[in-house]
Amino acid sequence: MSYTGKVLRVNLSNGKVQSEPLNEKWARDYLGGKGLSIKYLYEELPSGIDPLSPENKLILMTGPLTGTIVPNSGKLAVAAKSPATGTILDCSIGGRFAPELKYAGFDALIIEGKAGQPVILCIDDETVKLRDATPYWGKGAHETELALQETMAGYKFLLIGPAGENLVPMACISSELYRQAGRGGIGAVMGSKNLKAVAVRGSGGIKVPDIRKIMVALNKIRREDTMSDDNMWAYTDGTPMIVDLSQSTGILPTRNFQEGTFEDYQKINAEALRKALQAKKACLACTLACGNYVRQGKAVVEGPEYETLALCGSNCGIGDLEAVIEFNRLCDDLCLDTISTGNVVAYAMEMTEKGVHDFGIRFGEVQKYLEMPALIARREGIGAELALGVRALAEKYGGKHFAMQVKGLEMPGYEPRGSWGMGLAYGTADRGACHMRAWPAAVEAYGDLDAFTIEGKAELVKNMQDENAVKFSAIFCDFWALSLERQAEILSMILGRPVEADELKTIGERINNLARLFNEREGFTRRDDYLPERIHADKLTTGPTAGKLLPKEEYEKMLSEYYAIRGWDQDGKVTESKIKELGL
Amino acid sequence: MKALTFHPEKCTGCNLCRLACSGQNEGLFSPRLARLKISSCYTGDGLEVKGHTCNLDLACVRACPTGAIQEKNGRLAYDRELCTDCGLCVSVCPNGVIVQKKEGVGVCVQCRTCANWCPTGALTFEEVSH
Repeated sequence: MSYTGKVLRVNLSNGKVQSEPLNEKWARDYLGGKGLSIKYLYEELPSGIDPLSPENKLILMTGPLTGTIVPNSGKLAVAAKSPATGTILDCSIGGRFAPELKYAGFDALIIEGKAGQPVILCIDDETVKLRDATPYWGKGAHETELALQETMAGYKFLLIGPAGENLVPMACISSELYRQAGRGGIGAVMGSKNLKAVAVRGSGGIKVPDIRKIMVALNKIRREDTMSDDNMWAYTDGTPMIVDLSQSTGILPTRNFQEGTFEDYQKINAEALRKALQAKKACLACTLACGNYVRQGKAVVEGPEYETLALCGSNCGIGDLEAVIEFNRLCDDLCLDTISTGNVVAYAMEMTEKGVHDFGIRFGEVQKYLEMPALIARREGIGAELALGVRALAEKYGGKHFAMQVKGLEMPGYEPRGSWGMGLAYGTADRGACHMRAWPAAVEAYGDLDAFTIEGKAELVKNMQDENAVKFSAIFCDFWALSLERQAEILSMILGRPVEADELKTIGERINNLARLFNEREGFTRRDDYLPERIHADKLTTGPTAGKLLPKEEYEKMLSEYYAIRGWDQDGKVTESKIKELGL
Repeated sequence: MKALTFHPEKCTGCNLCRLACSGQNEGLFSPRLARLKISSCYTGDGLEVKGHTCNLDLACVRACPTGAIQEKNGRLAYDRELCTDCGLCVSVCPNGVIVQKKEGVGVCVQCRTCANWCPTGALTFEEVSH
């Protein structure tokens, strides 16, 4: 069947390894990926644990589609309690690791405890070993992965760099050099376990019913739906094409969200990057190949994605493409999330310029900017401060008004004052300010909906969150804009039983409610669902969003309406009737 | 003869071809059982794309001591009944695309399923000369 039916559990404290059956009821209720990993964490983590203690668990979760030929099904969910926010945290990473874990015979890998010294967890089908990682500790993810792939043929890797080792709350996990499980400090959780890398190699395969018949149907879907005009942007330019969209709609974060347009946007947009493009790279089973391997001057990277161009480009006042590419490469090698890193640098720049606190760096200062990633990842010099993240820095040094974060997670590249639904999406996302739980910008700023009204936005955000929860659990890549009906059709084929779109909608709702219950158990309530004051108080000054803000009272109304639509009380608490309805 | 041909400059390394090959010919999705090899991997020097397909060089046919692999109408045909699992074909294949299975081998039968799945036209069916 398309699930292997097995979960590998490894305790790094005592070296115990066990293979256990996948909880089939949970797999039915939560599918896999995001949903199923949250379910395991909800059931297994006591509340109030320190995310960087051995009590936290790191879960690598595949889905029922992983390892099959279903287009764009190659991603992996990586989940734990977040050290950046204290919330539930699930990240999504591409590459080839997820299918390989399935071929090795496991739907999931649950990593517990903490190794006594740096280790690499090696999984070769049923054989599980811990290798000494001391020679690689302190080294970048790129050098480490290149060295490992020389000696471990056929393995796929997940790794951390110095940022994860040093427990930086914006540390990510890397694979194939340029793919990341980016947000919420997931790399720090790995680092707290003294786990430098996970290596997996599998000799098995995935069986599905009527395989040849299904392949004919799936290839038709691939040609007509996956490779349709709605999705081919991912292949042609990839996410950098969003730079122009954001600029023209005034939602391109600029100089720590002081403005929504950037005078040098043409230096960091898709057109500029097209000239630097060397090659395209895809995840396993992906037909859209969003990976752009680029070279500009001496700088190379796979990327930069839109988020990096926005947060590490315009938001830092940097209009130098070579510098942004180099900053991106440094972050990837050190394993820093570019969204949070760009934000923290931009915050420091504004603090310095405004004279609130002198961090010694101002907007547009390329040389100093390029020094930041290594300082942050190694917690050296000014980096020791910036490594605290925007929220903690604001508590220490001030500037809370423009500390652009929600729940401790720094804000992605869509200005909420020019896309009001985005504000609600950031406020209510399970892991803090995140654009992947719901992305209303697509239909308001970039689409036909009025971006400057709260009308209908609560329902929009709720529906997007539920549908995305299904996508990230099935697992389909976010870049395939496929309907729930299409997801149901494909899941029916692969699971060999009828799956209805309505059933999936309920699963999506169940996942978001369980995530909320996890956070509630950690003490989160309505007061944590707010945006930084700048969004409500400072009018934007340039471009089509000049004069705009998102009034606080409008936000309050939208939030209240959202809770009502969710069936939660006005403190944002999941009600007993909702718990019962969803079988939680 | 026409045979499968690989164009590395068009390949994104998605490996849908290998998933398709194993699905079509082995009844499960397992890239390692595919009768073609494609990889797209970063090295210290950048992105390296490598691919090997059966170009009907027929070294396997010549090497097989029992006639288990033969060429029929421009395709390889494999007879499991005649195969003694000697492994000679696997070792002589210049492209390294004959798969040694637990029992028997997998040879490319030019079914073109891989090319039908390739999203970028990196696999084509073209005239080859030896």
